[in-house]
Amino acid sequence: MKTRGVSIAACLTVTTLLVASCSGGGDGDDGPVTLEFQSLSDQPAAIEATEKIVGEWNDAHPDVQVEIVPTGWDGVYDKLITQFNGGAAPDIIHYEAASIVPFARDGYLADLSEHMSDERRADIPEGVLDSVTVDDQVVAYPTELQSYMVFANKKLLQDAGVDIPTGETMTWDELREIAKATTKGETYGLGWGLSSPTATFMTMAPGFGGEFFTGSGADAQITVGEGEMALPELVDQMAYEDESILPVTLTQSGSESIASFYAGQTAMTVQGSYQAANIAKDAPKDMDWVVLPPLEGPAGSGQAANPQTLSVNIDSEHVEESAAFIEFFTEAENLAALNEADALIPATTSAQELMRKNLGDENGWDTILASGQHFSSAPYLFVDAYAQWKDTVATPAYQRYLAQEIDADELADQLTSGWDEITS
Amino acid sequence: MRTVARPLVRPAQYVALACYIVFLGFPLLWLISASVKSSGELNSLTVSLLPSEWHWQNYSDALARQGLVRSAANSAVVALTSTALVILIAMPAAYVLARLKGAFRVAGVGWILVSQVFPVILIILPLFLILRTMNLTDSLVGLTLVHTTYTLPFALWMLQGYVAGIPTELEEAGSMDGASRLSVLRRIVFPLLAPGIVATAMFSFVSSWNEFFFALVLLQSPENYTLPITLTSFIGGEGKVALGPLAAGSFLAAIPSIVFFSIMQKKLTGGLMAGAVKG
Repeated sequence: MKTRGVSIAACLTVTTLLVASCSGGGDGDDGPVTLEFQSLSDQPAAIEATEKIVGEWNDAHPDVQVEIVPTGWDGVYDKLITQFNGGAAPDIIHYEAASIVPFARDGYLADLSEHMSDERRADIPEGVLDSVTVDDQVVAYPTELQSYMVFANKKLLQDAGVDIPTGETMTWDELREIAKATTKGETYGLGWGLSSPTATFMTMAPGFGGEFFTGSGADAQITVGEGEMALPELVDQMAYEDESILPVTLTQSGSESIASFYAGQTAMTVQGSYQAANIAKDAPKDMDWVVLPPLEGPAGSGQAANPQTLSVNIDSEHVEESAAFIEFFTEAENLAALNEADALIPATTSAQELMRKNLGDENGWDTILASGQHFSSAPYLFVDAYAQWKDTVATPAYQRYLAQEIDADELADQLTSGWDEITS
Repeated sequence: MRTVARPLVRPAQYVALACYIVFLGFPLLWLISASVKSSGELNSLTVSLLPSEWHWQNYSDALARQGLVRSAANSAVVALTSTALVILIAMPAAYVLARLKGAFRVAGVGWILVSQVFPVILIILPLFLILRTMNLTDSLVGLTLVHTTYTLPFALWMLQGYVAGIPTELEEAGSMDGASRLSVLRRIVFPLLAPGIVATAMFSFVSSWNEFFFALVLLQSPENYTLPITLTSFIGGEGKVALGPLAAGSFLAAIPSIVFFSIMQKKLTGGLMAGAVKG
């Protein structure tokens, strides 16, 4: 009897599931166009901001309705590649520039060059626009960015007799001097989470004239010279000569290394700019902190841009409508609201200005937003074997270097020979 | 010597058992601890199991996240259905596999082993295309079928081991007493197989309950998302993780599994066949 009961229950469940799956309706041919917008917005405030923007669009465009399909960041590359190959990708795709370039090269993304308005094109800083331009085609609209900033404990700097920098930029030499001056007793000048250092070194290399790659696609060549080696060498000197970097932070992620900043073990920490919101929320109540000006190297204060983007599936039946929606989505008010919710930097100048106006100097936002004008093109975005090189060659080599298992010459050699091996 | 050793052995066994339980249970304790800490405390250098201030907000944040409860219901439906299907299919197949000799058995065992070799990433695209032609992508039915298919080979392998452990003499004795083939299976084999069925059901349930990748790729509509998919929404881009709400959501997600296991483990009694065959 029991077995029969279980069998009946199983059959009923399967039948219910089948009925449920069959009852899902699709859009009729005569109704409004429905665009699927696969969104990666994850913070509750950002989800709300996205829904508000989409709601406003839907109210104003009854014939072109946008439906949000929320998706998490984890595994989204595999999901997209399956969707593209299976012909089931959404119309509008939210993803980061570094990951959509391969999709664009493989012909999965629509050319939006003709759809992007002159106003929008002029509003996007050149380096940021370059990051979404593949073979002279604009394949996505950039929306949000982060830059690396230095967060400082005001009291520890003042106690060390340091004048807190207030200029438009701050040189790396100044950072080194402040780190040395604030290293006293059990306090270190700087905490820097560099457990996965490649992205940080690649992003900040432009300030030293480092580009790493010339050419694009399968023909790209690597160069590891002075500009590329300057930052790892500086970190090495600060950690082992000056002893002004808390050693354990070199083995931690950025988020992990922030704990020693809260505890007063480090006077400064290098973090993604979005951490401003977390520090404001989580730092001890009596902690007076400040965002220091963007770092400037011998070649300027540029950081490589890898923005979040919105692109359009080339197989979408509604490329024009999708592009029109993205134009609307990237209007200054919308981008400012979204980036404010996500604690990121808008990809357009007008949205940055609006956000600066809204937030003022709260939590160092005027300084963070100022860094938004210094983004430069990121050659590594356009290199076919970059992901493989990063995971199998660069990150292990940088980790060995920061642990002093190899010297600078060996690091340069491993970065170059590893690339040659992969591309041969 | 024996009188000295005996009082020491039993406490040592209990100490070892306690250490093992702590080892197994600590991650769950840590999860519960993280679920009631504020983000400030989670980012603090001071480590403690008990929070300095109970932060229940994580639970309301987790429950407020879109569709957490609905995702739990979806996970339960998919996991229970695929478990039932796996057991229904694997039980007779395992019996045949364990009892038959010759080429069929070799081919069957070979198929089971080969099917375990392929990585998920290799089969996801053809699987997606097949399900798409059947209109079963973005559907709990499709996901249930995938979970059933993916779990079945290992479940079959597990169960045939249990069947092989039932002495054939018991079946022969039943036949000699006049029982039909079906009666032998129903009255002798299946009752003795109960612990194996329970173990296999637990394996199938937990495989389906935790499965992430197939659900990620196949499901498109938020109303169909399973728990692992919804929980990853607490992990954002740019390295952002809402650790407190994630821990709270994960703990809530673990409760059905814990309940299912606590019910099933009572059935997981061994030694049923002790003394069944004498001589």
